[in-house]
Amino acid sequence: MTAISLSAIEKNFGATRVLDGIDLDVSDGEFLTLVGPSGCGKSTLLRILAGLEAPSSGRVSIGGREVTEVRPADRNLAMVFQSYALYPHLTVAQNMMTPLKLRDLTFAQRLPFLGPLAAREAHGSILEQVRDTARILKIDHLLDRKPGQLSGGQRQRAALGRAMVRKPAAFLMDEPLSNLDAALRIHMRSELAELHRSLKTTFVYVTHDQAEALTMSDRMAVMMDGRILQLGAPDEIYSNPQDIRVAEFIGAPKINLLPGSLDKAGHARCGDMELARVAEDGIVGCVTIGLRPEHLAVCDKGAPGSLTGRVVHKENLGADIYLHVSVLEGAHRLVVRVSPVEGSAISLGQTCHFRRLHGQAMVFGKDGKRLGLAQPSTEVAEVA
Amino acid sequence: MAASRAHWWFVGPALILMGLILLLPILIAAALSFTSYSLGNPGAEFVGLDNYEKIFTRSTYEKMFGATFRYVFVVVPLSVGLGLGAALLINSTKRFGDFYKTIYFLPVMAALIAMAIVWEFALHPTIGIVNATLEHGCGSFLETWGLYAHGCDRGFPLWLTDRDYAIWTVAFIGVWQGFGFNMVLYLAGLTSVPRELYHAAEMDGARTAWDRFRLVTWPMLGPTTVFVVTISFIRSFQVFDTVEAFYPQGGGPSKSVYVMMFAIYEKAIQQNLMGIGAAITVVFLGFVMFLTVIQRWLVERRVHYS
Repeated sequence: MTAISLSAIEKNFGATRVLDGIDLDVSDGEFLTLVGPSGCGKSTLLRILAGLEAPSSGRVSIGGREVTEVRPADRNLAMVFQSYALYPHLTVAQNMMTPLKLRDLTFAQRLPFLGPLAAREAHGSILEQVRDTARILKIDHLLDRKPGQLSGGQRQRAALGRAMVRKPAAFLMDEPLSNLDAALRIHMRSELAELHRSLKTTFVYVTHDQAEALTMSDRMAVMMDGRILQLGAPDEIYSNPQDIRVAEFIGAPKINLLPGSLDKAGHARCGDMELARVAEDGIVGCVTIGLRPEHLAVCDKGAPGSLTGRVVHKENLGADIYLHVSVLEGAHRLVVRVSPVEGSAISLGQTCHFRRLHGQAMVFGKDGKRLGLAQPSTEVAEVA
Repeated sequence: MAASRAHWWFVGPALILMGLILLLPILIAAALSFTSYSLGNPGAEFVGLDNYEKIFTRSTYEKMFGATFRYVFVVVPLSVGLGLGAALLINSTKRFGDFYKTIYFLPVMAALIAMAIVWEFALHPTIGIVNATLEHGCGSFLETWGLYAHGCDRGFPLWLTDRDYAIWTVAFIGVWQGFGFNMVLYLAGLTSVPRELYHAAEMDGARTAWDRFRLVTWPMLGPTTVFVVTISFIRSFQVFDTVEAFYPQGGGPSKSVYVMMFAIYEKAIQQNLMGIGAAITVVFLGFVMFLTVIQRWLVERRVHYS
């Protein structure tokens, strides 16, 4: 079932087009991530979905109900902001009570002093809901503190609590982890994913961090220049990017891109290296060959189709070592992932040889679009 | 370890200046308030608490406190409320915001003594524009309002010279003159309210403007409000120019506008009774100190967020 549907969303700020015809369907209970570099329009899209920003054209519907003209308060969504946007004068408990009070109590019941006396039961049940949510998030001991007395991680939990305490149709999160330190961010990644699994509610998550998108989402939409370039499961996006910009943005270290050319037979080549698979469309000319660092391996000198280069930098991450190798007379740099055992034998400045793992290279045309490659049917002998 | 004396060189100049130009005069005033000193007299007689006794028993000073508190408790709430209202309205308009800001701020920039003369003409019972305008309304639907009909029958009030109206008229001019300043302070406070809090409030279901005001604007303006209220209190305790301009001889009709600052001036300067003038000054200082302490307490207790 479709929980959220955005169709033909466009947004202009003056003459600047920020969103350019976005179509996106989010299914019920899905964790969808909008990922892209800053300025790609992902936050604007989320704010349009929340209703905090009006689209220039296009329609938004939530749970089958058209809400383009509906104000944010009536869309039944909860949002976690990058700055958390907790009310600084209220305690954590009062912060978490606010959405319940504003929605469930009448104006008279919300009056200070008189309200709690007159509607003791309603206030009691709200307090109970807040306590339950706080227990899930392990912030029940912080309920009496004010946001100013909390650490970044605790504030983030309080903001999550304020969103969770009500049962919204979907959670919207605008870079909620970007203000945390690195270790906590990685910890919260798994915690958020677990929370999503236990709540079974739709999450729409905006981030510029491709690692967050890859680790948490069911599906991710890579956005650039106001368009969704590719939408799919994280492993699909990583291993099968349809656009050179997607390939470059997703994956750390970045994918290696080498200039190459396509010959008449459809073989892409770069220097001595020639891909066995052939392009299907019969295009001839300049292409870009993309190879991820893990698709390269060190080999002996003179192995067929190998590349040779000088090691200019070595990054030791413990479990892996990334070698930065200058190839093609220093015109290009490749990053190669090697195991610590292999890597320890290689020193800076040394010349080394490596080959690609067959069937992994990606070829992108001049327009940046992925070119389909297929096993050559005629030359059976040369198995790729 | 030998104690260095360098710290005296750092704090010394400030201490000396503060002592010379602030503390010493206060101490002298406090000392004078126990005497019957007059300028020009070679010596002074020690009279103990006589001066203070006069302040708290004589009817003149009762009128002084009455006028002062009437003025303060009208001007402070109204100028703070109107300042906040004007700031919120200006903040919400997209156009003409600067235009309105200028209009409301003009009375603050104008010299109050000059404005007092203008008001004196405007409120003149026979040639003043205020009563002339009110008379134009006679015979229209406004007469259904009892008070207005009464004014049409018997003549409109002599705003500045009727003892039932004088202090309120002076207070009105105080509000008119003062709220523009509060508005500017509130406008500055409003710019520091994070936009995201309003978005969060909207997502939390704050549908009405009142909800947003209660949940975000008013609490976030807390520090501004404390400052604005304190400043307004001190400024309205200090009111002098209008009173001096309207009633150079003795504090209005039956001393109904005999505010503290004017009393100090009249006693100490006009009548050369330095002792009693100093005593009123000390009482005045007490009020201001009290307000400042409350302000500090509020700032530290209630509105300190981070």
